[in-house]
Order: sequence, then C-alpha cells, then structure tokens
Amino acid sequence: MYPKWLWPVFAVPGVVWLILLFLVPFYAVIGVAFGGVDPIFLNAVPNWNPLSWNYDVLLTTLAGFLPGNQYWGIFLRTVVYVALALTGSLLFGYPVAYYISRHARRTKMLLIALIVLPFWVSYMMRMLAWVNLFSPSGFVNKFLLWTNLVQTPPDWLGGNHASVILGLIYGYIPYLILPLLAALDRIDRSVLEAARDLGASPASAFFHVTLPLSKPGILGASVIIALPMFGDYYTPTIVSGSPRTTMIGNQIDIFFHGGPQPSVGASLTMILSAFLAVLMAYYMITIAKAQKEVAG
Amino acid sequence: MKDRDSKIQTIMTGYRRGFLSRREALRALGAVGLAAGAAPLLDFAALADEAGKQAGPGGIPLSRPDKPVTLPLNGDPIKSGLEPEKGPFHIFNYQDYIDQVSVIDTFSKKYGVEVVLTTFDSMDQAITRLASGTVEVDSTNITPDRLAQGVAGKLLQPLNHSYIPNLEKNIFKSLQNPFYDQGSQYSVPYNLYSTGIGWRTDKVKTDIGSLANPWSVFWDESSKEYSGYTGILDDARESLGMAMQYRGLTDMNTEDAAVLDKALADLKATVPISNPKINITEYQTLADGSCWIHQSWSGDMLGAIISYWPEGQDKSILKYWWPGKGKGVTQNDCWALLAKSKKPVLGHLWLNHICDAEVAYNNTTTYTGYQPAQKSFNADELVKAGILPEQLKNIILTEEDVGAGSLQYCALTPKGQGMWQDAYAKFNSGS
Repeated sequence: MYPKWLWPVFAVPGVVWLILLFLVPFYAVIGVAFGGVDPIFLNAVPNWNPLSWNYDVLLTTLAGFLPGNQYWGIFLRTVVYVALALTGSLLFGYPVAYYISRHARRTKMLLIALIVLPFWVSYMMRMLAWVNLFSPSGFVNKFLLWTNLVQTPPDWLGGNHASVILGLIYGYIPYLILPLLAALDRIDRSVLEAARDLGASPASAFFHVTLPLSKPGILGASVIIALPMFGDYYTPTIVSGSPRTTMIGNQIDIFFHGGPQPSVGASLTMILSAFLAVLMAYYMITIAKAQKEVAG
Repeated sequence: MKDRDSKIQTIMTGYRRGFLSRREALRALGAVGLAAGAAPLLDFAALADEAGKQAGPGGIPLSRPDKPVTLPLNGDPIKSGLEPEKGPFHIFNYQDYIDQVSVIDTFSKKYGVEVVLTTFDSMDQAITRLASGTVEVDSTNITPDRLAQGVAGKLLQPLNHSYIPNLEKNIFKSLQNPFYDQGSQYSVPYNLYSTGIGWRTDKVKTDIGSLANPWSVFWDESSKEYSGYTGILDDARESLGMAMQYRGLTDMNTEDAAVLDKALADLKATVPISNPKINITEYQTLADGSCWIHQSWSGDMLGAIISYWPEGQDKSILKYWWPGKGKGVTQNDCWALLAKSKKPVLGHLWLNHICDAEVAYNNTTTYTGYQPAQKSFNADELVKAGILPEQLKNIILTEEDVGAGSLQYCALTPKGQGMWQDAYAKFNSGS
C-alpha cells in the first residue's frame, strides 16, 4: 500500500540531527584531542586526518585517571556525587511518579503540570534560587534556627558535599520523574489485578510485579539524568565554588576555556564519553534482555 | 597552502625554541619554498633571543615592565585629517564593563552613529572569536599580554595619534609609552587596578592590612573562624601569584617548575584552613555579606559600593589592602582597532573618546568602578564627592604605582602558560 521508502524517510530528520549535532561535533572534539594549537593565538587547531593523529596527550591524560594521579580524586568524587544524586532522585522521584500513575485521578494533569513547571525556568536560575534558599541568612537557615533544630546556622554553600548532591537532585529530578511516570503508566493493570487475585498483598504486588516491570523505566530515567550529571560543572560552581566539591566537568572547563592545552580538555571529554558509553551499553543490554523476556 | 603555512610555523617554532640552528631553519624553509624571504623572519625571531628576552607570538619578544617592547608595524596608520565614516560602529568588550549612557550614548550622539556592543566572557574567547572571524568589530578591549598576539596575527592596525589628542593630554605619562606597546602604536589604556584583599570589618575582627603579612590571612590557623566565608580569584595567574606573594616572591611571570609546585602546594593548604570559594564575584559577595574576606581587584571595591551595596548598609565596613608598588600586582587593559575595520577614522575617534577625562570619570563612577588611567582622577575628589568611602582611598592608583618597577602578570611562553594552567587545574580539582 505504501512505498517501501516511506517509513525510512521518517528517520531522516533524526539521522540528520544526529550527524549534525552529535557526530560532527564529537569528531571535532576528537580532532582537537589529537590536534595542536595555533602558534600565535594558541587556540585549538583540530587534526581531521586520523592517519596523522598524535595520541600522546590522550595517553598522558588517561594515565592521570590512575589511582593517586591528577584526575583520580576528582573523577572518584564525580562518580560518588552522581551515584548518590541518582539514588536520591530515585528515592524522591519514584514515589512521586508512582503516586501520579496509580492514585492521582482528577489531579493527575495538575501534578504533571507542576512537575513540568521547573522546565519553564532555566537550570541556572533554579540553581541561583537554591543559593538564596541556602545562603547563611537564607530561608533554610532561618527555619532551622527558628525551630531550634540548630544553634548555629550551617554553612551549606561553603564547599559542602551534601549541598552539591542535593543541588544535582533538585536540578535533574524532573527529568527523572517524567519518563518514570510514562513507564509506570505503561504497566498493564490487569497484571497487578492478577497478582492481587492470586493472594498477593499490596506490598508484595508492588515488589514482585510493579517494581520489576518498571525496571526498564528506572534504567531509562537514570540514564537520562546520569549522563548530564557526569558532565555538570555549573552546579558545584554555583552552590559551592570550593575546590573540595569540583567535578570532572570543571576540569574540562578549565582546559577548554582558554590556554594552550585544549587537547587536554578534549581528551578528558573523550575519556568521560568512553566511561559513559560503558554505562550506556549496560542499559542497552538490560533493555534488550527485558524485551526478550516479554517477547518470550 | 595551509599545509605549507603549518610547516613554516613548525620550523619557526623549532627555531625559536632552539631545536634548529639558523642555517638548519633556513634550509628547512627552503624545502617548503620560502628560501628567499625567510631570512628576515628568522632575524626577527632572533631579536628576542639577542635582547635576552623570551620570544612570544610570531617571535615578538615577551614584554616586561623592565623590558619594554616596540611592536612591529602592520602597514601604515591611516592618514591625518580624514572625515569619520558613517555607522554603525561595532565595539567588542567584556560584559558589564562599559557604561551605555555616559560612554556609548555620548559617542553616538557626538558623531551621529549607532554603536553596537558585542560582549565576550574572557580574553581567550575574545581572541579566538577575532582570530576566527566569527565576530567582525571595529574596536576591541584587549589586555596588554594579548597585544603581541593581535599584532603577530595581523588582527590590529597601527594608530595615528593625531586623532587621539586625549592620549597625551589626559593619560598617565608612563602609559602613553607603555612597556608592552612602546609609543602606543596599537593601543590606548582603558582602566587600571591592583590586586589585594577586600574584607568586611563587621565580620572580620582582624585588621588584615596591619598584619605583618596580610596574605597570611588565608593560611593562618586563626582564620579558621572565617572558613567558608573567604574567596580567591578564579584565575590561574592571580591565585598562584597570591601564593607566591605570600612567600615574598615577586617574579610573577616565572616559568620555574619548582616555584609553581611550591605555589600550588601553598594554595592547596588554604582549603582545609580558610576553605575559600573560587570565583570573581567579590563585588557582589562582599557587598551582600556572603563573603567576608576575598582576594580582590581594586576596581571591584568601588563596583561593590556603586552597584551592589545594600541600601542602608554602612559603607565604612568595606576595606581593601594591596602590597604596594613593586610588591603587589597592578594591571591595566586597553582599547585597540581591528585591521579589518572599515571605519578606522571613527575607530580613532572612539579611542579618543575613551581617553576623554569626563567620559572616563563617568564610566568609572556610575558604572564600572574601575579607575581610568587619567591624570585628573583623584582619590581625594572622589571622597569629597561622596563616591568613594574614605577608607577605600587606597584602591586608587597613582601614576607612580604603574609603569617601570611595577609587578604585572605579563604574557608567558606557551610552555609557561601550560605550566600555570596545569598547576591551577590541580588546585581546582581539590585532590
């Protein structure tokens, strides 16, 4: 009925988008990592020819990730921050998504709108609002002092690990809830009813049916927020500003921002991308397995 | 062609760094078809070495306050007596670093042209955009350490001083003939500043300025009570330079690895003691009280008072200290004209406008807070006019504070820049 070429044509915008906005820029990053600098202006001169790539900077930078070397500490800190922020986001976000999916009826659209609301404000502005809330004389400290929960106001913004992790959760959680909500909505309610009919308690039905079936949604939502968190540099900059709490993105920023070593910045980007590709591969394999189980 | 240029640059770099002798370099240049015109190139590059100076971009010697440099001319300046072109006139500057009303609008009105301001975040970004041609402007703000790049890369055009009488009339004599651009062939000075410490006396009981070594406030165990309320400038040169000054060193342009390692170790030592934040927003954080002690640029003190000081807050609580000439760093920035500008006459008039005493005064006192390099700019008058709090008189530099004998962060070799950047990245990583 339809010509064979019709459906593949629908993929063209996506493919063009991928090529122009991901593959070409990423190849440029690779070109910078293996290239040089202009002898006068010291800005990056990408090397587009793979046959003449110089791998020295990449290898030296990679060696910096070994335990005890230059990037080991900050990389480890980044991994811990992202892991804790991801866990926190799931602990806060899953119940919200679950409630909206299962129990919110008339208020469902309103709640979804409230979750989408932060998207209307830029990430930067939300982080600056966070600074106002947690500043020494901010609302949080005023509340803590008023309730006598603390005697001296905590210094939330003075290089505090918890503040950066909470900042990451605050900034990224809407991006987690929405795909999670979509995944929970897709779970066939008749499966849950069957579990209950067969004698499962509500808790048992949740842990043995809902949670396993929402695993692809959890993984997908986690990937969506974990990837940008790994490259984040403005959250620690805004809510802390201390060298104690910098992330690997801050190092990339330093080397890309200026100076004669853009190839170091590009190499750091490549190494981070390779690490994230491993996480992404795990996600893809898990999803493929889950789909196979459903089909089987 | 590009391949040939790249080979020439490689040979020149090898020659400048001493990997190739003059004869070897000439032979290599001959192999890429540049034998005939190569000798002057090499002689020019050799100038730096012969004068005992390190070579900078394009072989131009690296300038120092005690080693002034005359930049080579990129062609001739425009002729005298020409009529200004029509607008629009495009300028390129840091964000929030020029007053629309007292500077831009007055120029627009005077010459009947529209002035379009494009901004940049850092000098690295500015140079990259100018060099790549992604921004086309007539005049740009530029720091002295980047002038040689602009000249070597043929970005800038030489000036005809007959259009800029305000340079001689109003500007500090030492900056009419600055060490980085002898004869002011390409630039006119804009603002100047020192680097020191700004603090709030309502929060900090220590009189930092009267300490034997005021920099020690970032390292002293007794400063732990200010932990989390201190700040260091987010700048490789300034932060590491501060650690060097703490140790009494004055070579702010060193490329000695041992000195940099020591400065890095010292800078890291501040983290468990004073727990500094790394930023350049002291004009705001000192004013709103979220920071109590901050390594500061002098201009940001007046900027804090003019633009960020909360209504009703006592202005006398903000104090500033810097080490003084020869011990502390002073710097200035400049304006220059782009070689590709199609409005060079208007460009010269813009530079003259920047050097106008009234324009410069209004720019500083109503907007930037950074003092111009104007002879008439006077701390006592600012205090009398109620613009500058009495205790901040030391933010205003005198003609004696700049020029020969002063400390300045000057251009480094690419290797040196890499060393400073690596050290700063290690500090920033917090590990």
